[in-house]
Amino acid sequence: MNGTSPPSSAGARWGLKTKIILSMLLVGLFPLIVGLGMAFWQGSQEIREVSGESFKALATEAARKLDLLIVEEIAHTARIANDPAIIRELERRRDAPSNPRASTDLERRWISRDKAAVQSITDNPLSALLHEYFSGIHSPPGQLLPQVVRSSTKMLFLTDTQGALVGTMTGHPAFRHQDARWWQGTFNRGVGKLYIEGIHFDERVNAYVVTISLPVMDSLRHGAVGVLHRVIDAKEFFSPSTHAIRFGKTGHVMLIDTNGIVISCPILPTGVPLSDPQLIPLITPNHPGWVQASSDGHGGQATSVIGFAPLPETSRATNGSIDQGSWHTFVWQSSDELFAPIQHLFSWVLMFGMVAITLLASLGYLAAGRIVTPVRQLQQAAQAIGRGELEKPIQISTGDELEDLAGEFNRMNAQLKAAFAGLTDQVELKTQEVRVLQQSTDQILDAVPTPILLIDAHEAVQYINRAGRESFPAQGTVPGASLFSILPLDQAQQKRLQADFLANGTTPLTTTVSTLDTIPRDPLMPNTDHESAGHRAQLQIGSRIYGYQWFRLPARPGGEQSIGLVLRDTTDESRLQDQLVQAEKSGSLGVLTAGIGHELNNPLFGIIGLGEVMQDEQDMEMIKSYAKDIVAHGRRMATIIRDFTGVIDRETSDKPTSVSMEDIVDQALTTAQATMEMKAITIHKHYAGTTPVLVLPDQLRQALVNLLSNAAQAMNGHGTLTLTTAVADKMVTTTIADSGPGISKQHLAKVFDPFFTTKGQGEGSGLGLTVARRLIRKFGGDIRIESHEGQGTICSVTLPINTTPSAQGGPWTTSASHSAPQPSHSS
Amino acid sequence: MDYLCFALRTTAIAFLVGGLWGTGALLSAKERSTSVGIAPEKVTDYVHAVLEADRSFYTTHVVNRMQEQGVVAATEQWEQGKGLPLPAQFLQHSGRLVAEAGYGIRYKLIGFAPIYQRNAPATEFERRALELLRRQPDRPVTGTVSSGKKQYFQAIYADRAVSAACVTCHNSHPLSPKQDFKLNDVMGGMAITIPLE
Repeated sequence: MNGTSPPSSAGARWGLKTKIILSMLLVGLFPLIVGLGMAFWQGSQEIREVSGESFKALATEAARKLDLLIVEEIAHTARIANDPAIIRELERRRDAPSNPRASTDLERRWISRDKAAVQSITDNPLSALLHEYFSGIHSPPGQLLPQVVRSSTKMLFLTDTQGALVGTMTGHPAFRHQDARWWQGTFNRGVGKLYIEGIHFDERVNAYVVTISLPVMDSLRHGAVGVLHRVIDAKEFFSPSTHAIRFGKTGHVMLIDTNGIVISCPILPTGVPLSDPQLIPLITPNHPGWVQASSDGHGGQATSVIGFAPLPETSRATNGSIDQGSWHTFVWQSSDELFAPIQHLFSWVLMFGMVAITLLASLGYLAAGRIVTPVRQLQQAAQAIGRGELEKPIQISTGDELEDLAGEFNRMNAQLKAAFAGLTDQVELKTQEVRVLQQSTDQILDAVPTPILLIDAHEAVQYINRAGRESFPAQGTVPGASLFSILPLDQAQQKRLQADFLANGTTPLTTTVSTLDTIPRDPLMPNTDHESAGHRAQLQIGSRIYGYQWFRLPARPGGEQSIGLVLRDTTDESRLQDQLVQAEKSGSLGVLTAGIGHELNNPLFGIIGLGEVMQDEQDMEMIKSYAKDIVAHGRRMATIIRDFTGVIDRETSDKPTSVSMEDIVDQALTTAQATMEMKAITIHKHYAGTTPVLVLPDQLRQALVNLLSNAAQAMNGHGTLTLTTAVADKMVTTTIADSGPGISKQHLAKVFDPFFTTKGQGEGSGLGLTVARRLIRKFGGDIRIESHEGQGTICSVTLPINTTPSAQGGPWTTSASHSAPQPSHSS
Repeated sequence: MDYLCFALRTTAIAFLVGGLWGTGALLSAKERSTSVGIAPEKVTDYVHAVLEADRSFYTTHVVNRMQEQGVVAATEQWEQGKGLPLPAQFLQHSGRLVAEAGYGIRYKLIGFAPIYQRNAPATEFERRALELLRRQPDRPVTGTVSSGKKQYFQAIYADRAVSAACVTCHNSHPLSPKQDFKLNDVMGGMAITIPLE
């Protein structure tokens, strides 16, 4: 993988190449093994079948051959038994009067091997005949007994009907045989029957023998007159026939009897039983066949295929009948040899299989190489694409899906490149924007004259604007310096600030700061701050006083929230404010003094004049009249004083009263006319009737007087004043429109500001509208001023209509919670 | 089926032995009083009648019947498995049993063209008798024969192909020298031999 492969567990991981080779091997190996196994199994089965059938055929054939051999021997023997001379001699002996004593005497002498007695039997005509037959004198040419037969015949003798020996060719057989099974079986009560005696050991001939016994029938074939008995050495007789049949190294034919005793076998000695008794019933049925047995009968325990067949003709006569025992051939070959071909084939196929597997592995290697190389190219290309380094297009020309895939990769890479290019541009653009934004923010923040600090969650200062840097010469490196290392505060203030900070800036704006920010403090307003001085958001840093404000900054994705702290140097402001209050106070006093003087002077001069006239007047009537005028003037003065001082009868004005708006307007107009020069002013009234409002009448009147005074002052004594009341939506709107010069736009926004005035020194305090608005708002209404320069000013006062029938005791709804500041006197 | 065979054989043997017993009794009676002796021709006639009846019954009501019903067939190798003895084998085997009974009486089938040489005529008399019977099958050939000093009366009756089984077997057997037998042909003779002393 040229070092580009992922390092993860290269040992445990199987690469594609290994997998392909393995799968090819498996694909080849699996059918090979299955096929081999099946072929081996099937081959073994078939070999077993074929061998079994062959063995069966061979056994049958061998059985037939052996049967014929025995039948031939029987025929040979029968020729002797059918010899007329022998028959005649035996008939004669049968018909001769029996002489038991002579017979017993002869027997005794035979047993004692008395020479004369032996000679009387071995040299008698019957024995001579047997000799002649055996040596072949009586046989036609071509029917001579084979040498094998002659040598294997160990005894050949004749007995009469009593079982006594009457002639013998060789050896020294027993004299009496009437108790022998073979003799009884052959004589068969005179009927006569072929009797083949099974394998047994004969001590006289010292060998395992089989015997063939034939009855010698009389000339009518009516009854037996004697028995011809022949003893044959089994091994010698059968071995030329059985031993000749050999196949392979171990394949052979053997002859056994029904008890499993070996009659002739090239391997086992004659007379021994088969090693496995359980095998015997399997292989000795009375029909040919083959079996697969678990042993071979020769001492081996290997699974063997055994063919077998009975000797039908021979078996019929063995031991008297087929029920007494039968002879069988047994064909066997060693399993090793039998299955050698298939094992040979197996090894060959295995070898070819190995070659095939090697081929498969090589081909698999080649194929895997062909498949994997482009895949690796693709993998490297994908990695390169991932790093964004793929410059050259992938060159794969396999002409298959991999090539298509490579094409797709190339296309994808091109698209990605295009997309990335656009993205990079956009990122650069955005970065620039961000930079610009940051710069502008910095500049804006630097331009702000108040110190601003940005603090992270750990009280570390992240940023200080220029004003801040100037105000608090940094005592630590700014990003990361502790807040209190920058702000030199005493312990109590640190604690307070920390508490605020821990509250996470949830009380960002104290009322004081807010007021300072929006509108200047009303100096006439009762100062409630004195009561809550302990909670004021003010810090004393050095000799200066700062108001402060927390604000929360939006957190960056994944970042911590930071909190901003805005400090505002209120030292100068407080000082200025105090000066302003002071100035206002003195200004107001001047205006008041001038107004009082002006207003009081006229009646006072009238009183003085009337007083002087009264000094010279004698007429009591006139004096009374003058006194009346003096009283009137005095009262007027009292009223003026009351109005100007603003000292309102608090007892009567504590409770709001339902009064007619229009009445109040008229009263206010009267008051205004009394104090202002309004004779040249034309007054138009458009009233909507009597509209009840729930107010403190004196205070409302005071507010309206202020408004009317402003209007009259604006018109400078001549013009048109239009007073209108209109009812709409449970509200009554009172409009005071003058025909004055109007208010310029820059002044219009400030008209409600305290101390704002366009009048000259001593003419106005700048508090009239402020007081008026506060009063109107107290009653749930509002004041609006519209003005266009040169077209006059319209002042609209909106108040809610009192809908409760009983004005007294009606709900006092407006701003009950507010601490109602007492209106101060206004000019 | 073996049980059936055994039963049949036992029945047949019982029949024959019973019959022969009677015959023997008759003969001994004759010996005791020669005046009321019974001619050997008569004896062989009786024996022949019994044998014919037995074989005929066996052939018709056992072999044919079993074969028609598909129960079991008659086969030459009846000893080696499932099968009934052929009628001829039935007679030959019963003859062996009778001979082994030891009364001296023998009977057997001999043929002009026997499948097995052992069933060929054994003596000159038998040969001549078959020649005669070929021409005159209706009457038995009788005579006295001797073995040494022993004398026997022998009667040979013509034996016909009594059933299809006889014809089929002889015409199809590989060892059969003559294969053109027809039903009711004289196939050979039944030789009955009784001792005359």
